[in-house]
Amino acid sequence: MNTYFHPFVIPFSLGVLFLFATLIFKYVRWYLGLTSDEKLLIRKSLFTVKSLKAVKECFTECLLHLKIYKVNLRLGYMHMSLAFGWFLLILVGQLETATYLANDFVPLYVHVFFRYFFPIAPEGVVHNIDYAPLMDALLLIILISVGLAMTKRLKSKLLGMKKTTRHTLGDRLALSSLWLIFPARLLAESATCGAHGGGSFLTSSVGDLMANICPVDMIELPLWWLYSIVLGIFMVSLPFSRYLHIFAEIPHIFLKNYGVRAKNEKSTVDDFQIAACSRCGICIDPCQMQSSAGVNNMQSVYFLRDCRQGTLEYKTADNCLMCGRCEQRCPVGIDLNTIRLNRRQGTLLRLGTNPYSYANQLDTSSGSGKVGYFAGCMTSLSPRILHSMDRIFESARENVWNADRDGGICCGRPLMLAGDIDGARKMMQMNTELFRKHQIETLVTSCPICLKVFKEEYNLQGIRVLHHSEYILELISQGRLSVKNNGNLVTYHDPCELGRGSGIYAAPREVIEAVASLREADEHSEHSLCCGSSLANTVIGTPQAYKIASDAAACFESTGAQTLITSCPLCKKAFAKVSQIPVKDLSELVCESLICK
Amino acid sequence: MSKQVIIIGGGIAGMKTASTLESMGVSTLVIEREKNIGGKLNNWDRLFPTFTPASEVLDRLVDEYKKSGSRLMCSTNVEHIDAQGKGVTLSDGQKLTADAIVVASGFELFDATIKEEYGYGIYDNVVTSVDLEQMFKQGKVLTKQGEAPKRVAILHCVGSRDEKVNQNHCSRVCCVTGVKQAIEIKQLYPDCEVYNLYMDMRMFGPGYEELYRESQQKYGINHIRGRISEAAQTIDGRVKIKAEDTLVGRPLRMTVDMLVLMVGFCAGRSNRVFSADCGLDLRLSNFMKPRNPFDLSNITACDGVFLVGTVKAPKNISETLHDATSCSHSVLDYLKNR
Repeated sequence: MNTYFHPFVIPFSLGVLFLFATLIFKYVRWYLGLTSDEKLLIRKSLFTVKSLKAVKECFTECLLHLKIYKVNLRLGYMHMSLAFGWFLLILVGQLETATYLANDFVPLYVHVFFRYFFPIAPEGVVHNIDYAPLMDALLLIILISVGLAMTKRLKSKLLGMKKTTRHTLGDRLALSSLWLIFPARLLAESATCGAHGGGSFLTSSVGDLMANICPVDMIELPLWWLYSIVLGIFMVSLPFSRYLHIFAEIPHIFLKNYGVRAKNEKSTVDDFQIAACSRCGICIDPCQMQSSAGVNNMQSVYFLRDCRQGTLEYKTADNCLMCGRCEQRCPVGIDLNTIRLNRRQGTLLRLGTNPYSYANQLDTSSGSGKVGYFAGCMTSLSPRILHSMDRIFESARENVWNADRDGGICCGRPLMLAGDIDGARKMMQMNTELFRKHQIETLVTSCPICLKVFKEEYNLQGIRVLHHSEYILELISQGRLSVKNNGNLVTYHDPCELGRGSGIYAAPREVIEAVASLREADEHSEHSLCCGSSLANTVIGTPQAYKIASDAAACFESTGAQTLITSCPLCKKAFAKVSQIPVKDLSELVCESLICK
Repeated sequence: MSKQVIIIGGGIAGMKTASTLESMGVSTLVIEREKNIGGKLNNWDRLFPTFTPASEVLDRLVDEYKKSGSRLMCSTNVEHIDAQGKGVTLSDGQKLTADAIVVASGFELFDATIKEEYGYGIYDNVVTSVDLEQMFKQGKVLTKQGEAPKRVAILHCVGSRDEKVNQNHCSRVCCVTGVKQAIEIKQLYPDCEVYNLYMDMRMFGPGYEELYRESQQKYGINHIRGRISEAAQTIDGRVKIKAEDTLVGRPLRMTVDMLVLMVGFCAGRSNRVFSADCGLDLRLSNFMKPRNPFDLSNITACDGVFLVGTVKAPKNISETLHDATSCSHSVLDYLKNR
């Protein structure tokens, strides 16, 4: 019996052993770090259809990279041909090995170095498929994708990216060895074919060529050594480089499908997600901090990298608008905003032991009704919105309980975004008691920032929480509000917290269609631009925020619309100071179109 | 010398530069976008710190300008400065050439509606310092309801020293204007309570500090250090304001019959275009930047393009007129050496 061994397989084999030992160590540690609820969720979901869905997603995302195709076709092809091509190379290689050596015990490395051991198919084995051309074709596909990857490094625009990631030393080492693997394999296989015959259209012709110019039988072994060594280097450097994502993405997809997501508490879900980042850099282009404000070190790719390396500076974690444009584009589906928020909690300035005691039992509300209106602090500073909402309530003959007309308690979200979760919980508790005390059934707010926290963090069972766009739409469709269409041409800005944050895209648009004519900007709905005034960024100065707002405003102006409509008081303020066209809140637009009964 | 200088803007800076250059033998063309020359001074009633009627100063300047022989184009907009200062393009496409260009396009007033929390344009009795000056001109200061105000609050720094609206600069003249207008209200209605709500009182000019003291000692005007956070309208149309007295360290609420917003200087919209035309930098708040703020404050990095007056930064009248004289000499030096 042949042992199929040669010392050159050692670097590769050691690399593989090291890789899988490291992976198992990491996975076990992270799994143990999950909260007991999360572990329970995993155990409950294991034998459900969710696992099948996860398997399917692993196939479409880890191998085919379908989401990247949405960013750019060539970029998608590059990722797919490398990942799926390599996967097929391994799979077909295994089949080939299994076909020829069905009855033998075969070590793992044999299929990797198959051509060395069997330049020509062993005699007497019945096989229906000629594997050599198939393996050559796959190798060619991968070589082309490596070529594309090199092109992307040099000129990322050709692959649909304005900017690509700047890499760390570990990444560079892994990247270089990865790029060498397949050319080395080609040369090694070709040398063997040149010396002993066999191979197919690629390896045999390259082998013939090599045989003409050099002594192939002498360089054959060194080339196999090279192939094995670069493979080994890649395997060893993989867990310390971005290529960890190849394996980390799989558990991440399973966790995602089981509903185990990053949230505002300590858990190793974050570690799974952080490791799943491939540093593809797709998050860089949509980032307005980069395109408008010229900040190049805080994008999600760099933030996650610093998290993994343990070199994260608070400034990096804090210097983000949390607009969610990167999260929306992320092909891996990482909970970027939540992870970032979790890394902010160390930066807090603690204000005494109970800084909010003055707000206890504070009730400055007025009026009474089943509908509660929580204007929010930014709405209070935008009296046109207050005034318009008053007129809308009046027209619909709605009895309204005003929660904060005379100064109320903050919704808590600004504190949350700054990382003071405990302080935020106190505000939430006080507001919840207030809502319960006045027995409201519907809570309307004009501020998407408040809306998001009411929906996600408050426990308001039995109370419907609506943004005013949804509420106004309801009034119009119930016939309680009569409006006329003035035919004015307007454009609409989706506030980050309302659109990507709460998924409300349709309601404001339907309201606008009822009273005016809507022309969308180039980037709208889930791709909408941030106004730059986000509460979430405590690092940039006003000139940078101003620049972000001006650039975004220019996109809206270019639609030719007469008015820019938004539905967040903070966004309105941000645009009002830079826009060349008037900026109005949705409620103001509706108020102008009211038909008084 | 048969040189031709184009002056963009016929406010006091443009007029004074034109008449000075003419007196030195340089022919000038002033291009003014409004129907009349005189700029913002046309809207003013009386001037700090002496209560001199604005028309008195303006008439003298217009008279001097008209006698100087300078040519004037009114109701004309300059769209661009051409070819690095060798001419201009008007809004009708017409191109004019010149040996030098003086940018005297001045400033714009801060749009108080941007600070929506103060309710300008929403509440009945919130006015700007310019609106109040118009009321003084007409001799009638009344609330929207037609009554004499019994309590007035004057809020300083609206659109000045306010990073949130990208107005990083101090507009300088509003402090003393607030004091002047407070006194004028007291002169009209001796029983009216007048409050100045300020960040700092910057009384930089001759006679300003004296006027500030007089406002307290003679007129009993209250000065409170602290800005208004928000304003709301009461049912009877008055204005309820929330502020903080930062010297006492306490929040403050009061209801007034009229809230006056001291609107600051805002860089002209044309600054952006002109600076791009000439390859010049702008200041943070978009005012135009001379070579340096010391001895080269009228010339720019672009040869043949000069800056004068409030296009560079907020200034009072005398500073603007001095700057115009200084600018005329810089232009003359430039023309001689060519």
